Amino acid sequence: MTSHQFEDENNHRWQRLEEVIDAVETKQPHEDIERLPTLFRQICHDLSIAQHRLYDSTIIDRLNRLAIAGYRTLERRLSGGWERFAHLILREFPQTVRQEKKLFWFNTLLFWAPFFFFAIWTPYDPEWAMRLLGPEGMVSIESMYGSHTSPHDYMREEFGSNFMMFAFYIYNNVGIDLRTFAGGLLAGIGTLFIVLFNGAHIGAAAGYVHHACNPQTFYSFVAGHSAPELMGVVISGMAGMRLGLSLIHPGPHDRRTSLVLGGRRALLLILGACILTSIAAVIEGFWSANPMDPWIKYTFGAIVWSLTIAYLGFCGRRSHAA
Amino acid sequence: MTSPNALADTLQTVELADGVEIQLRVAGPAIRSLAWTIDACIAVACYIAAAIIMGMLGVFGMENVWEGVLLLFMFFFNWFYNVFFEMTRHGATPGQRFMGIKVASVNGGPVRLPQSLIRNLLRFIDFMPAFYLFGFLSTLCNQRFQRLGDLVADTVVVYADPKPANPLRVQINATPQPPPHSLSRPEQAVILQFIERAPLWSDDRRIELANLLSPLTGATGPEGLRRLCAIGLYLRQGHPSKKS
Repeated sequence: MTSHQFEDENNHRWQRLEEVIDAVETKQPHEDIERLPTLFRQICHDLSIAQHRLYDSTIIDRLNRLAIAGYRTLERRLSGGWERFAHLILREFPQTVRQEKKLFWFNTLLFWAPFFFFAIWTPYDPEWAMRLLGPEGMVSIESMYGSHTSPHDYMREEFGSNFMMFAFYIYNNVGIDLRTFAGGLLAGIGTLFIVLFNGAHIGAAAGYVHHACNPQTFYSFVAGHSAPELMGVVISGMAGMRLGLSLIHPGPHDRRTSLVLGGRRALLLILGACILTSIAAVIEGFWSANPMDPWIKYTFGAIVWSLTIAYLGFCGRRSHAA
Repeated sequence: MTSPNALADTLQTVELADGVEIQLRVAGPAIRSLAWTIDACIAVACYIAAAIIMGMLGVFGMENVWEGVLLLFMFFFNWFYNVFFEMTRHGATPGQRFMGIKVASVNGGPVRLPQSLIRNLLRFIDFMPAFYLFGFLSTLCNQRFQRLGDLVADTVVVYADPKPANPLRVQINATPQPPPHSLSRPEQAVILQFIERAPLWSDDRRIELANLLSPLTGATGPEGLRRLCAIGLYLRQGHPSKKS
């Protein structure tokens, strides 16, 4: 059989599949829509035959195109929508955090070690912290937490509205999370650097407040949003290190497969981290700067910390009875 | 038709679960840069438009709120512009659509949300140190022109449905003749492709190519071409591949 005979004989079937695919693409009803899998298998068969018999490239190209289009149409799934999202938040994300225990402690250390170093050291010797914060950083810390100022007044002056503050925190802090994740692709070095620097910078700010400002103002401001925000930093560090480790230490897989698998896990982690940071942005934007009794804020902060730890520690655990 | 062990080819063979092999035409860095340039222009235009609109709304009060909206817009646009468009049924940003390319899974299927998120969040690294240097180097180091984000997300950028070429049914005036000795499958494929494409070329070019096969045809010039066509017609007519 020549390729033209082959084409003439089977053309009607190929056209049928083309019509069905068009119908699916444009969401029109079509009488043969339920025969799509059958038609697709036939096309695959025809393509194999055409390839084997070395038929004209025009025919092979056409069948190849049809096979790809058919495959894409069949493979198109509706995403799970909100149900899938809830599953991700309530189960997969906290489960993954717990499974990556080593990474969690590693990043916790990576962030908190420089934090405490600077927070404790700075009141005795503020030189390093002042270098790290720079003149502008020091001015903004002093005007926020100084003895005679309040974060509320300062924020109002700087941002003008709570919503603007919220938007800025999303833009800046979630952006940093995403960069921390991406930095993992540089063999983890980008992530290491960002997490260490973040710890040092925040620690320096805390230490500088003890040195030059009113600590109560500072702690009552940060109490509410500190839990989700700092956990977000640590977990985005986990996401980046997951990616970096899959690159450096592929384990039983080849490096390409290891990267793909690690990337999926890292994506779960970074999505969760972004959500934590967004929650922190809501709290920081709409709650933290409000002038209120410090003890209300400390209580609120304690509640948020316990909720965050309970969520990461217990959410999505399977009970043994089930 | 191309042999599977071809060294470097923009046609990448993928085997589907159904056992059939499909071929994806992967897109190289040049056309992708053009698509990116178009998208970058769109992005700049959108930023300017958004800034003007928010500025105008700010005149009527609540200036800071509109600034906040602008910041949020920039955040989402910056990180998720590509994700949004890759999730449409075209699987391509406006720039990519214009250039006729799209994003797909390595197995030829449509790109999924997690894949799209991964490849676009990692774009930040591909862009480093400036203008996609890392991404460019990565595309040169693997057969599928994948940048780093593509490698992690398991995606490729392919040409969207290439235009179906008009089938040429040209009569070749020669009497079919069997080749002097049996030919391997790749050899048969080359000759079949030759007579399929020969009508598109000038006479000189046909003869030039046919001369390369003079060891097979035993002649050069127009006579070699005639014999080559005869062998090609013979292969095309029937049982070409049985002996492989």
